[in-house]
Amino acid sequence: MNEMLRADAVNDDAGRVKLAVRNLNFYYGSGKPSLKNINLSLLNHKVTAFIGPSGCGKSTLLRVLNRMYELYPNQRAEGEVLLDGQNILGPGQDLNLLRARVGMVFQKPTPFPMTIYENIAFGIRLYEKLPKSEMDGRVEKALRGAALWDEVKDKLDASGLSLSGGQQQRLCIARTVAIKPEVILFDEPCSALDPISTAKVEELIDEMSDSYTIAIVTHNMQQAARVSDKTAFMYLGELVEMDDTDKMFTSPAQQRTQDYITGRFG
Amino acid sequence: MTDHTVQAFDRELATLGRKIAEMGGLGEKMLADGIDALIRLDTDLARATVIMDKRLDALQREIEEMAVLIIARRQPVGIDLREIVAAMRISGDLERVGDLAKNIAKRAIALSSEQRLPRAMIGLRHMGELAALQLKDVLDAYAQRDVARADAVWLRDSEIDALEDSVFRDLLTFMMEDPRNISLCTQLLFCSKNVERVGDHSTNIAETVHYILTGEMLPVERPKGEEAAG
Repeated sequence: MNEMLRADAVNDDAGRVKLAVRNLNFYYGSGKPSLKNINLSLLNHKVTAFIGPSGCGKSTLLRVLNRMYELYPNQRAEGEVLLDGQNILGPGQDLNLLRARVGMVFQKPTPFPMTIYENIAFGIRLYEKLPKSEMDGRVEKALRGAALWDEVKDKLDASGLSLSGGQQQRLCIARTVAIKPEVILFDEPCSALDPISTAKVEELIDEMSDSYTIAIVTHNMQQAARVSDKTAFMYLGELVEMDDTDKMFTSPAQQRTQDYITGRFG
Repeated sequence: MTDHTVQAFDRELATLGRKIAEMGGLGEKMLADGIDALIRLDTDLARATVIMDKRLDALQREIEEMAVLIIARRQPVGIDLREIVAAMRISGDLERVGDLAKNIAKRAIALSSEQRLPRAMIGLRHMGELAALQLKDVLDAYAQRDVARADAVWLRDSEIDALEDSVFRDLLTFMMEDPRNISLCTQLLFCSKNVERVGDHSTNIAETVHYILTGEMLPVERPKGEEAAG
């Protein structure tokens, strides 16, 4: 049964797959794997939500998708992560290029201690040399893309840290968008935000799915239900079930999924 | 099933289920008494049946309000969401069953002075018994979470439809035979239609029970006539 489900998660909607995870195991050092034989696909221009209790491996999985885990020694991944068919876990992969293609937004807003303008331009300069006029255009486009432009256009020279929490998070999204990624990973992007800021970020995620392939890790199941097309439920390092979000929140196939989403766990 | 971590949620769902059960019991009694009052032209029983409908209506409102509150407070998903949506639907069906039974009872009062009742009364009583059985079966299927039993109710409704057809023909003949029977027979035609509708509500409930338990809808079209008889 589980084998079938895994096969389905990979084969379903073949051809529209942007990023495919194959037979992935992950280790935080020696000992038991924290991710066990994960197989799933992120579909092009779709939002995939990852839910599951703390420690189930959902953030770990996200950190594999752009090799963020390599910032730490002793952490290693086995298996394949195919971005447009190319294995990004291979030794030849340029990490900077990978992280430009697969951007990430973190739990707490982390603007750099510089102006709003520089927060965006800084990232772009790492990858491209642009004349000032062109850079202005890119910064504006990124801020518009993160639905922040109207709120900050008159104070681009103000510090990024002067913004509210919700604005800071959208600034971080703008920073990610500015370097034109193909995939964006959101790791609990709203857990530090109030409901109105959360709604703005969710609206943004919805709009962004026209242009990007999105994966979001969230503890808030209603958020997963609201923003995603596909939902994956993980437990103890395994992918228990992945299906259309509509199906997952009305009649999931697995008992463990049912117990978790209805609040009957443990 | 495992309990919710938030136990108040379990208690709310249990209360909802209890209220549905109470509505079901009332609906069954009203249908049986309504038919009985009609067959025996028992005006006391008919009046008692009419009065019972108030409690049924009140219960339906309570269930609906409670379901709305639970949705607002608990944001139910999965099986919980299906249960709550089902409670709203079933209470709606049962409330209608009560209305139909009440309507039969009122007609029983109107007919109480009739001297010559047609043979179709036998068919009507038989329809009533079948409808009562269907209702009982589907309520048991709901209480026991028995999808096979719900599906059986869903398939069996064509029997009531066939009986209604024969009652209709009987009444029509009776009317053609003597136009003075028309007023009486019209009342009885409405009664037969009401019973047939009770059957439809039972199949609605069967569809809802099927949805709670499987997460899937039964097809829109039910098999008609003989193919369903078996």
